[in-house]
Amino acid sequence: MDEQLATVVGSTSARVPGPAVAVDELVPRHTPMLWHVARATGLSKQDAEDVVQTVWVSLLSHLDTIRAPEALTAWLVTATRREAWRVSEAGRKTRPADNEWLLAIPDPKANSEERALLAEEQRTLWSALHTLPERCQELLRIVAFVPRPDYDMVAERLGMRRGSVGPTRLRCLDKLRVAMHAEEGRI
Amino acid sequence: MSALKPRRRGDDPDDEQALAMIRSMFEAADPVPADLVDRIRFSVALAGLECDPDSELARLSVEEAALARGAPEESRTITFDSSSLTIMIRIDSNTDGTVRVDGWLAPPQRCRVEITLADGPVMTDADAEGRFAFLSVPRGTARLVVRQAEDGSGETQPEQSGAKAVTTPALMLL
Repeated sequence: MDEQLATVVGSTSARVPGPAVAVDELVPRHTPMLWHVARATGLSKQDAEDVVQTVWVSLLSHLDTIRAPEALTAWLVTATRREAWRVSEAGRKTRPADNEWLLAIPDPKANSEERALLAEEQRTLWSALHTLPERCQELLRIVAFVPRPDYDMVAERLGMRRGSVGPTRLRCLDKLRVAMHAEEGRI
Repeated sequence: MSALKPRRRGDDPDDEQALAMIRSMFEAADPVPADLVDRIRFSVALAGLECDPDSELARLSVEEAALARGAPEESRTITFDSSSLTIMIRIDSNTDGTVRVDGWLAPPQRCRVEITLADGPVMTDADAEGRFAFLSVPRGTARLVVRQAEDGSGETQPEQSGAKAVTTPALMLL
């Protein structure tokens, strides 16, 4: 169990600062996860920023409905995904994943050999990942950012049948391994 | 890249390693915008003031109008009260267009003082007499958060039942 979450959720102590202050402390920790959940739905960066911000602010008025500290991650992930879909449907902004990040990878020759290898590896992983079905791409990206102890509850809320997420995750990882081989063979 | 080589069935550490690689790839590929966390904290703070009237929120105890009407050349003094702490600040204009914020805490105590600005928070410490200062702050929206000193840095603040923070409403520094 997480002390900070325990402080926020169900707290009755008069010495605990208001929920806004407590949530304030959680924002740096969980925002990266929510950013990637939002971006995994295909939202633009600007829309993803708005979605994540909206979710945090709405958490303030939902804190009393979140009974268990473990449920907080699940609430945040579910709310982010729901808001992301709402925004993308409203604006019909769904579009293929962009490749602009490729430009941000430093020139391998200008860095250490290790770093050059890592960048190359990540490019191969990126290419392989994008040959997978969209559902696998989204699932793997979300699962990669959700803290392990909270994973079961998040998975349960992702609209998948109870018990089917584990096997789906395994299948997606297997597909990724096969795709990595294909990509590496191409080099 | 062993985590993505063919694996033995049910080999969980490999799965974890593969997911860790996916995570670091996305962190490099699509990083969280640098100022997003601070902007969210600011929004949460403002929203929290509206929906959470009985938190440890310091209340403006001196006329707000004085703040709005204050002549730019003069220093303005504002006082906030909460159940445990009074925060008084004086705002002076610097020649470069920024402002200087001097503050006093009553009762005097060592505290970590944070001023949250549109482009991020800035920290300072109040001394044993409760004095603190931000020498150069851009004009605009700001709020102060005064936190009990962390363990070790403030001998006058023995840890009781958890750290306590007092937040002021958002101010417009003019």
